Amino acid sequence: MRFNEKELQALSRQPAELAAELGMRGLCPHRRVCPQPVGALLLEHCRVAQEEPSGFSISFIGDPERKYHFECGSEEQCQEWIAALRRASYEFMRRSLIFYRNEIQKMTGKDPLEQFGISEEARFQLSGLQA
Amino acid sequence: MKLNERSVAHYALSDSPADHTGFLRTWGGPGTPPTPSGTGRRCWFVLKGNLLFSFESREGRAPLSLVVLEGCTVELAEAPVPEEFAFAIRFDAPGVRPHLLAADGPAAQEAWVKALSRASFGYMRLVVRELESQLRDARQSLALHRHSSWRVVTSRCKPQAPDRWSPGLENGHSRSRDCSPTGLVEEPSSRPAGRGLAEWELQGPANLLLGRGQSPVSPETSCFSTLHDWYGQEIMELRQGWLQRARGAQPECEEQNRP
Repeated sequence: MRFNEKELQALSRQPAELAAELGMRGLCPHRRVCPQPVGALLLEHCRVAQEEPSGFSISFIGDPERKYHFECGSEEQCQEWIAALRRASYEFMRRSLIFYRNEIQKMTGKDPLEQFGISEEARFQLSGLQA
Repeated sequence: MKLNERSVAHYALSDSPADHTGFLRTWGGPGTPPTPSGTGRRCWFVLKGNLLFSFESREGRAPLSLVVLEGCTVELAEAPVPEEFAFAIRFDAPGVRPHLLAADGPAAQEAWVKALSRASFGYMRLVVRELESQLRDARQSLALHRHSSWRVVTSRCKPQAPDRWSPGLENGHSRSRDCSPTGLVEEPSSRPAGRGLAEWELQGPANLLLGRGQSPVSPETSCFSTLHDWYGQEIMELRQGWLQRARGAQPECEEQNRP
């Protein structure tokens, strides 16, 4: 599968949601040594789990044997990363959107997406989730 | 740069819904020389969230290419061949060539440009935030109304935040029907009358999303309607262009690729 590294490098220079030096098994952990990103994980269909003592791991449904391990400086930092990662996927956003749309519609009887002309878009449909 | 290609390819083929699909002509993405004929190569494209995949054919089992649609713009473009309904995905980064693509007709072109230009995570988050604030307002006014009228609150569905549907659940993947994340699994909860509903009903998924207090969206795009107008304007301009071109072009059926 082809992808353009320069595009991903440009993305890595955009404002970060969360940034820190974390220990990662098998990859260069220090920014000053690695000015360019050494890797990227696209977080769709992933599972984030806490790992003892103060670390977490990311694994993917499509590649269950492979686990990416990260070491944090503290328990607090670890929780922060786990929370941020769990809501970082597009699919999570989609579900949040559909949840709100549904709730607002129940309360007001109106579709809140209609005013923006995006109520017909496939990605905002409830039926999409049943697939 | 390393990328979790195997899991991304799996996601591309998974049954999670695609946001847009169709055949597009492509002229040598990165690493591919343009075809000698200049007609480009016809591939099957699948948009899933902010990821655009291409496949050899509709039945292709391995994605040929991936574009992460963040920090890019989508605009009309000139194709090497006239009468192509082309558009380009451009990244504002040095040395990055735009992806030149062409649809079979003006309607397909418009649909693709629209879908791709709104595919970013940031756009999605903006819509979620806007809806979150609308829901908060709706709940507050409902709570006030209930307070003033002293009506007994009967049982109703208690909204659940996605985080709480099933802790530790894979992102965007529910393991069973019980984990239905749409708030459709109604759990009636009786509620004492006259309590401050507004206070304890305000927790929603986007509150969690906003938890850090950081705004990853730039200040000038913080108002959804402003941003929406901005996107809308762009689309109006594009539409204008298509309409002018369509007058001179034969109408084409965009459905011809779909059996």
